Amino acid sequence: MSTIQTDKLTKVFPGGITAVDAIDFEVREGEIFGFLGPNGAGKTTTIKMLNTLIRPTSGTAVVAGFDVVKHPAEVRRSIGYVAQDVGIDEHATGRENLTLYGRFYRLDGKTIKERVDSLFALVDLASFEDKMVSTYSGGMRKRLDIAMGLIHQPKLIFLDEPTVGLDPQTRARMWEYIQSLARTMGITIFLTTHYMDEADKLADRIAIIDRGKIMTIGTPDELKRSIGGDVVTLSPCGTGEPECAAFMERTRSVLSGQQFVKGLQASNGDVAVYVAQGESAAPNIMRLLAGAGVEVQRLSVSRPTLDDVFLKYTGRTIRAQEGTATSYAEMQRKRNRRPS
Amino acid sequence: MNVIADIWYQVIRHWKTQIRMKVWIFLNLFQPILWLVLFTQIFKSLSNNPELGSTSYLQFFAPGVVVMTVMFGSAWAGMGMLYDIDMGILSKMLATPVSRISIITSRVVASMMLLVLQAIIIFILAIIMGVDIETGVPGVLLALLIVSLLGLGFSAFSNGLALLFKRPEPLMGVINFVSMPMMFMSSTMMPGNLLPGWLDTVRQFNPVDYAVVGVRGLVLEGYIWSDLWQSLVVLTAWAIAGIFFGTMMFRSKAE
Repeated sequence: MSTIQTDKLTKVFPGGITAVDAIDFEVREGEIFGFLGPNGAGKTTTIKMLNTLIRPTSGTAVVAGFDVVKHPAEVRRSIGYVAQDVGIDEHATGRENLTLYGRFYRLDGKTIKERVDSLFALVDLASFEDKMVSTYSGGMRKRLDIAMGLIHQPKLIFLDEPTVGLDPQTRARMWEYIQSLARTMGITIFLTTHYMDEADKLADRIAIIDRGKIMTIGTPDELKRSIGGDVVTLSPCGTGEPECAAFMERTRSVLSGQQFVKGLQASNGDVAVYVAQGESAAPNIMRLLAGAGVEVQRLSVSRPTLDDVFLKYTGRTIRAQEGTATSYAEMQRKRNRRPS
Repeated sequence: MNVIADIWYQVIRHWKTQIRMKVWIFLNLFQPILWLVLFTQIFKSLSNNPELGSTSYLQFFAPGVVVMTVMFGSAWAGMGMLYDIDMGILSKMLATPVSRISIITSRVVASMMLLVLQAIIIFILAIIMGVDIETGVPGVLLALLIVSLLGLGFSAFSNGLALLFKRPEPLMGVINFVSMPMMFMSSTMMPGNLLPGWLDTVRQFNPVDYAVVGVRGLVLEGYIWSDLWQSLVVLTAWAIAGIFFGTMMFRSKAE
């Protein structure tokens, strides 16, 4: 059974920017569905259409059995939402924040008290529940935020970039929480991220989204297999050199005709060559390029990662996209946030 | 019923936030006292003006301080909404089933409760300083209703503007631009017949003036129903306009 089903879901913002462009996908009950793409790809806009915060321009979405436009109230009751910005009142205690959310879902006082206690235990904040949130670290806030999304025991929870700005240790802990939500509590999770490793580690299935379009959907293994084997990465020149483009072009023309080469992608001064067997292909590549007078400065052989998958489907690496497409309002908010 | 409960729990949240700011509480209680004492000193010599008759300036100005306090307090009410917008609290709330109208209403109610409390304190202080309230306790209650309507309108407009601008600078600009002239273009500090003719005309369109006239009548003269009805009708319209504006902004801008 599907928990989310979209049909040509589209959002065009005033000014004509198409943030989400006719996307179709399905999220199955109980799975962790990863929505992977660079900043500005349309991930948050998609979440906001699914959780009723913004209206789709066209297309439909059914969430937890309800149409998001026709039955927004029912959708809201069925879902939890953990936004990219931690939406917590700093000038209140953790317990007050959580209790207020229990009230919003019309739970009675006794139920709220029980759930607050068990949720604080779940996210390891038991001794901090009556402390002001302004004294919490970034990781603690994020954990409280997740607890707030769970107070009404939803069947589906949206996590928008849940580990942005967290240190590696806190990130690893957060991954454990997210996994345990899905595995032990059976909650369906819709997770957006621009971290390859996060999608790879957590998601049962991944949709790669870029410029408002879904490029491909599959399990991490399926996506990596679609590369067709190994990746040989060549650096024919240092970046920024004027003759670099010419080198890239020559490399392309030499290799693209070869039978053992399944695909070629150039990005950031590197050329990724997709081959069945990296170790045996590498000497071949070197020989061919040397024969054509192309000097290779560096070469590496690797198993495909989601980064290669992203490159294959979008023609760009996700890293090159980071830090762009950040709106002014977002920057402002981040600047106002005190360091954690 | 859900709406009432939603408003109630959010009012509690706003009150807890306010009470935790000790400096803010102190200033809010101290400021009207300062105004009452300071302004009556500044304009002391006006007491000799024949227009005031036997009324002391304190007697004349005390109702004005009540109105000023409510007006300035409620005009700034939108700042709290900005915090919720900025921190992402508002959009997170909107993804819950909480009643939409309760979000803005609870803010207005919470600020009204504080302002009524402030107004009561000013009345008590004024009585201690020797102001004689002609209509007694029932009159004070009616005066509180009048200033509540004024404050309701300001507070709702302020929250609506916060949703419209989503940033503090334009909101603060508009509040300063509007509230000061609204105070001076009224009989808050000067009796209407001492104002230049054009100001005396302009004040007929100023809700602040209707509040001042209503409250002052109750303090100085008794129940002048012709004035009181006018005040109540105009201020009710003002409050409804504010709530309409605030709700409209909430519908269209709270994404």
